[in-house]
Amino acid sequence: MTGQPETGTEGLLAGIPRQGGQPAPADPTAVAPAPAVAPPSPPPLRPRLGAQLRDAVSAGCTAFSARPLARHQAAVVRIGFALVFTLHLLREWPHRRVLYGDRSPWSPGLVRDLLGDTHAFTVLVWRDEGWWFEGCYLLAILAGVLLLLGWRTRFSSVFFLVAVVSVQNRNILVGDGGDNIVHLMAIYLVFTRCAEVWSLDARRRARGGGGDAVGVLLWVLGGALLTAAQLTGHLTWRGDGWPYLGWSVLFWTLWAFAALWWLVGRRWPGGEPRAVLDALATMLHHCAMVVIAAQVVLVYSTAGWYKVQGSRWQDGSALYYPLHLDYFTPWPGLSALLGGSAVLVFVCSYGTVLVQVAFPFTLVNRRVKNVLLAVMITEHLAIAVLLGLPIFSLAMVAADAVFLPTGALLWLGGRVRSVLGAAGRRPVAT
Amino acid sequence: MTDADEPGEPAAERAWSRPALAVLVGGGAALVLGTAVFLGLVFLSVAPPNSLSQRYQSQVDGLVYPEFEQNWKLFAPDPLQQNISVEARLRSAAGDGAWVDLTAQDIAAIRGNPIPSHVDQNLLRRAWDFYDGSHTSDENPVGQRGGLAQEYLKRIALQRLGRSLDGAPVTGIELRSATTAVAPPPWSTQQWSTAPQYRQLPWWPVSTADYGGLS
Repeated sequence: MTGQPETGTEGLLAGIPRQGGQPAPADPTAVAPAPAVAPPSPPPLRPRLGAQLRDAVSAGCTAFSARPLARHQAAVVRIGFALVFTLHLLREWPHRRVLYGDRSPWSPGLVRDLLGDTHAFTVLVWRDEGWWFEGCYLLAILAGVLLLLGWRTRFSSVFFLVAVVSVQNRNILVGDGGDNIVHLMAIYLVFTRCAEVWSLDARRRARGGGGDAVGVLLWVLGGALLTAAQLTGHLTWRGDGWPYLGWSVLFWTLWAFAALWWLVGRRWPGGEPRAVLDALATMLHHCAMVVIAAQVVLVYSTAGWYKVQGSRWQDGSALYYPLHLDYFTPWPGLSALLGGSAVLVFVCSYGTVLVQVAFPFTLVNRRVKNVLLAVMITEHLAIAVLLGLPIFSLAMVAADAVFLPTGALLWLGGRVRSVLGAAGRRPVAT
Repeated sequence: MTDADEPGEPAAERAWSRPALAVLVGGGAALVLGTAVFLGLVFLSVAPPNSLSQRYQSQVDGLVYPEFEQNWKLFAPDPLQQNISVEARLRSAAGDGAWVDLTAQDIAAIRGNPIPSHVDQNLLRRAWDFYDGSHTSDENPVGQRGGLAQEYLKRIALQRLGRSLDGAPVTGIELRSATTAVAPPPWSTQQWSTAPQYRQLPWWPVSTADYGGLS
């Protein structure tokens, strides 16, 4: 956090129309600034329109490439999903061998048969020995913690991706919607600049960088691991379905880009090649943030639009049923209490569909969007308790967080910092 | 990607050289195009089957499977309205055992638990869904998945029921499901039976190989 005004980092989509190159107030309640372009006055129309269009395109290109927007949103998504995955692994520690290891009913033979068909990626089937599994599980926890802290994030985000995909693809049949969204976000996060704030990386940069040796070491380590995996035939350049790209393409490209970044930074610290790389990375970050936001919109749109067709959602009794499913009633008394009220069930059922269907359209108005976001986060917290799905709910809240206004995130960051400060620790954020 | 411009610094008014501009324009265009194609295909994969998704079926499937697969029909179009219990019994030289309600064990572990484990909430439940989705109504496996689902379900039951019955090694196992409709809400005018409907699976032979790794 810099204390300086942010530029258009308020919620992702809601922020895009305001990228006129003019700083927006950090306070989300403040009135949006007037458009940067000149006020419309009737004639002469033609030259104005052309100039406006040119200015708009130019401003858009600048905003797209100049510096990363939505840095706090990216950071909160990073922290949120790293936390979700780490908590999941810790919670399942006593059951890890039954879910993903040697005691699993989904035996190594069964998973290999399925992987032969789906071609999903997991390092857990590379060896069957117990030490391999236990080591990978511990490393997966480490990956979650490192990404959470934002330590060497270019490395740890890829490490995290491999961990998430490996654990989940070992037994895809024990996951739920929460695991699904973690899986997707773990991939998208690799392409974001998610450690610009609230990370050990940001703190190190603020203190004047340094620590090149660690970066080089990680790069060499990554290269050695990739080479080993490549030589043993576990990584391939060619994928099986369209677009025929194997995991090797992603990993080696990232590896090569890291080297290029380092070399250019040393050779021309303030030069143009360095600026070009920076702009490319920023554009990639923006594309990945759009994908993350669109992914969240897809989740709610799909959930909402398919519900519209359901007779139980139409007759307003839909939520009565999950509250009476044995698998989703850890507190049967509470569930029966809520499910017993026709009015409450009706309001919540219709409200759920309304919110899910409406959400994408509210993104054009940030106040309405923020209200809906608060409603959705509340609903997920209720689901966490009522249906016994805390990890799933936390994952959905982490996904929602990409749309939180920067002001709210800064406030939240301040609170966390003061709590950490009160606990006698040094603040992690910078 | 480390030290970006000083945060808060005004948008760069850098005058790019021609090669730099070419790289940036080319790279930017490729990124935007790639993003659009990716999102378009993911959209087609979650949308109802339509003319475009049929036309680009191989591209959609190729991109989405296996790592971008997603299903967000959460409680849609209608929430599940029945409780399904999976029960199992063993056979050995000593005879047939009693039915054991495996789902009831899951429920007992979930009740009063603020953080239920995937072992209790998803393992058996989703294995049954997997079996159900990969078998015909007369219990014949469909494709390779059917065989995998059968072995998986068998091993889940064996893990919980153990290796021997009345002192003799287990030689067979039988599963059945009991499906009970959730009673209609008290305010509903509709009525339906809440008596359990049983679905009996055939006896499956059990050998020591089926226990591999289970303990």
